[in-house]
Amino acid sequence: MPELTADLVLKKIKIGEKVDRADLRGLVLTRAVLEGASFRRCDLDGANLEGARLSKALFKNASLREAFLAGADLREANLESADLEGANLLGAKLVGANLNRANLEGANLQGADLSGARLTHAQLESATLGGARLVRAELAHADLSETDLSTAKLDEADLTSTDLSGANLEEASLARAQLRDAVLRGATLIRADLSGADLRRANLTGARLEGALFTGARVRSLVGTGAPVVGIRAEWVDDSEDASRAVRVTGPQIAALLSGMTPSSPSHKRYFGRGDVLRNAHLEFDTGAAVEIESLFEHCTIALGEGTELVVGRGGVLSGCQIQGAGRVTIHGKFVEREGPGIVGATQLVVSSEGFLVGAIEQAQDLTRFAFEPGCYLRVQILQAKKERTTKSGRQS
Amino acid sequence: MSEPMHGMQGRRTLVEEGTSFKGSLSSTCPVEVKGRVEGDVTAPALSVSASGSVHGKVKVGEMQSHGELAGEFDADVVQLSGSVKDRTIIRAKSLEVKLSPAEGKMQVVFGECQLEVGSEAARSELAARSAEALVRSNEKAAKGSSVPPEQVAKAPSTAPEPPKASVRPPTDANGA
Repeated sequence: MPELTADLVLKKIKIGEKVDRADLRGLVLTRAVLEGASFRRCDLDGANLEGARLSKALFKNASLREAFLAGADLREANLESADLEGANLLGAKLVGANLNRANLEGANLQGADLSGARLTHAQLESATLGGARLVRAELAHADLSETDLSTAKLDEADLTSTDLSGANLEEASLARAQLRDAVLRGATLIRADLSGADLRRANLTGARLEGALFTGARVRSLVGTGAPVVGIRAEWVDDSEDASRAVRVTGPQIAALLSGMTPSSPSHKRYFGRGDVLRNAHLEFDTGAAVEIESLFEHCTIALGEGTELVVGRGGVLSGCQIQGAGRVTIHGKFVEREGPGIVGATQLVVSSEGFLVGAIEQAQDLTRFAFEPGCYLRVQILQAKKERTTKSGRQS
Repeated sequence: MSEPMHGMQGRRTLVEEGTSFKGSLSSTCPVEVKGRVEGDVTAPALSVSASGSVHGKVKVGEMQSHGELAGEFDADVVQLSGSVKDRTIIRAKSLEVKLSPAEGKMQVVFGECQLEVGSEAARSELAARSAEALVRSNEKAAKGSSVPPEQVAKAPSTAPEPPKASVRPPTDANGA
């Protein structure tokens, strides 16, 4: 039972009395006018404050776990070090609010307006911020791991040294955002706008960047994705130490910079251009090579060393060919093999939206990582690795 | 993190976790499976959660699976993660499987299965586009203008010298 009733709380606030340190758990104060009220160190766990007017209210160190604050007006409220774990702040107005060191783990902030809010060192792990506005918000050192920030507006936000591991930033707008030393390990940045963002020393290991916009981004000393980067949009990026735009990088080098896979020697790259035709050939590519095929290959065998990258470009056609070995294969063009397994032992197989793949695929011993984009054409039989299949059939018999 | 499919909003039929359903399930509203379904399912949409499994014949408009699938699945649009068991067939007009990070968990673990994805129209369109690309490349080759992009080395030393501009008819080369 709460220490005070809702009426008593409203009366106290009306006459300018503080309700600090009170036990107000589960209290219902929907749409109440509580502007500038002081709830310091109050226990408001599970309280219903839906649509309440709480601008400039003081909630410093208060506990608001699982509180219902949907649509609440919390503009310039002080929620420093407040515990809002699992709170529902759907569509809440938090413009200019102080949420420094607040705990928002698992909170629902979908569609909330946090423009100019202060969230340094805040805990937002697994919070939902889809469609939220965080323009010019201060989030330095915040924990945003596994958060959903899809379509969120983070333009000019300060995300220095934030942890965005595994975060979903699909179609988020991060134009001119500060992301220095940020950890974006395994984050999804598909179609995100990172134009002019400062990504110096950021860690992008395993991040997905398809369709992301990077024009004018500062990328000096960033840690790349560790895998080939395809489909990004960028006219140039800034690789200067001091972000002075003095070192502009253009063209395919941008993707290499973002992947962190700039080969030490160009001899590791192999390109088969349009118009070339190879028949009945056996090709071997060493570990770490990057191969791109825009030609017509017929009845060829292609052996890939471990980690070798093979890209069948849009114009590439591989007919009756077999690709063997622990490489990573990406198909934007066509691959057709109707006789035996066409791809054997690849560690990764990506078929893009324009890709066309007909044939059998024998997976790697440790299984193959697959990715298929909507729009691709597949007539595929997936098989286990030969050894695996033999063991299975042995067991069955 | 994936968004719910269009068809999964509003009212739906739910097979809750811990529930096992055997038989034929036909619904006019979307079906959500958190438990186990063995049998045939017909519905406008099907969602299988990570704890869910569907074994049988399924015919739906949209399908999103994070759980276990086995059997025969016909759908217009499929979003797939989780696992696909041996002897499974998935037929769809559109399939999406997202790439998992190299060090992370597998997005989908495929058993021995079959994928038939893309409509005949898409196939023809792709074939036509590819044929067009080949014709263009032949024209370029005839003019001797096959040039690799900047800073990319030409064919490897291990590769045989490619013959100049002899291409079989585009329709064959496309495998169409």
